[in-house]
Amino acid sequence: MVARGSVTFRGFVRADGSVGTRNHVLVVSILGLTNRIAERITQCVPGALLVTTPYGRGHYGVDKVIHRDQLVGLCLNPNVGGVLVIGADRKMVDDIATAAARGGRPVRSVALDDVHEDALEATARGVRAAGELVHASSRVRRTEQPASALFLGVECGHSDATSGIVANPVAGNCVDRIVDAGGTAVVGETVEWLGAEHIVSRRAVNAAVADAIVAAVLRREAEVSAGGHDLTGNNPGAENIRGGLSSIEEKSLGAIAKTGTKPIQGVLRVAEQPKRNGLFLMDGPSFSPESLSGFAASGAQIMLFTTGAGNSFCNSIAPTVKLSGRPDTVARLKDQIDFDASPVFEGREDIEAAGGRLFDLVLEIASGAATWGEVHGEGAEALYRANGSM
Amino acid sequence: MAGWNALAVDPRDNVAVLLRDVAAGDEVRIRIGAADERLVAAEAVPLGHKIARRQIENGAQIVKYGEVIASATTGISAGQHVHVHNVASNRAKVRQTNP
Repeated sequence: MVARGSVTFRGFVRADGSVGTRNHVLVVSILGLTNRIAERITQCVPGALLVTTPYGRGHYGVDKVIHRDQLVGLCLNPNVGGVLVIGADRKMVDDIATAAARGGRPVRSVALDDVHEDALEATARGVRAAGELVHASSRVRRTEQPASALFLGVECGHSDATSGIVANPVAGNCVDRIVDAGGTAVVGETVEWLGAEHIVSRRAVNAAVADAIVAAVLRREAEVSAGGHDLTGNNPGAENIRGGLSSIEEKSLGAIAKTGTKPIQGVLRVAEQPKRNGLFLMDGPSFSPESLSGFAASGAQIMLFTTGAGNSFCNSIAPTVKLSGRPDTVARLKDQIDFDASPVFEGREDIEAAGGRLFDLVLEIASGAATWGEVHGEGAEALYRANGSM
Repeated sequence: MAGWNALAVDPRDNVAVLLRDVAAGDEVRIRIGAADERLVAAEAVPLGHKIARRQIENGAQIVKYGEVIASATTGISAGQHVHVHNVASNRAKVRQTNP
């Protein structure tokens, strides 16, 4: 067991006290109308990171809140050293830019309103602003920081029979180490808790959190059910049963093995920042790109991503550490999978030892070592919404 | 054998997961944390499937990840294959009785 404060990594300290594992300048198009402008700006300024969304108007109900929360949350991510906000109307741009500026990092903005709807003039202004932000942000240096500043997002994609017994428990062991070091971790994908919510909720710190876990599952199940789908009727499916899964409890426990064993401090909304350190669940979408963006918008500055057969998707703001326990996957994708958990599968290493190796790799990547996804230019943000536009 | 060929994620588990296919009579070496345990497979069990670490009575709980994943629908001996033919989900039962 590692004593709090004794484990460190090298990160970028921000004015709001958060610590980045990266130092990105974001060019954020806050609605679909201005995506191409933001893309042109980013092409002209190497080092700037593009964030777009196809949507942004005609939202109603919860989407109005979620859309804004995600955009602001991504701007406030500790890995962000500067933000250029691009949008159509000045009012909406100011709203996001003002909220983003609360992180204490430089924020600039361009609205089509400012340039009488001249998209090329907006591009020119944006290129200058993004260039200044990249120039300024490059002055920041990494310093030694406690691992308690780390906030780990944990995801799985293209899982198979090895995921639940190797990659997910190894990720869970790493989560335990992060929490023991005083850090924070989040696991999402509410529908994956289905069938084990009565078990997961027993790990809640109090009855209110336990109730929130069960309520989140029941609400998703009801929503999906209203859409004409049954999540429990044929679950586990025939392929799961062939793979050895005997019940929905077993299937869900395999998925949530990546939460480790620590108490669950709360259930976050998409893009909600945790109010204290420790392990959290996020009531969020099950599609990896959206789930990861939800974590990034809540402040996660490094991701663990377990896979069986392989899955190349990475978050763009937070380095995404890929791991698999399947020997042929690790051999086939040796320049894409960051962590080899297959010695556990092959009976040569126990989960504890592999979890220790993974924790060391997380600290190394948090300190600046590149993931394979970063080397190959993987990464995107995908904003979640519950409904369509009106 | 170089290492183990089965894994129990939690010491409370009464089943282990096979990391390789085993045939009846094969030795199963289970890793549980830092400890090893050996038993003999009573029947063929495929990779990814579960084997009973000990005798499980009819109606008793099946424990994996240290949690109850199902109940036995018949008596299961150590070394036997544990799957949908001899266990049933408790959650699914709740669903059927309280739709």
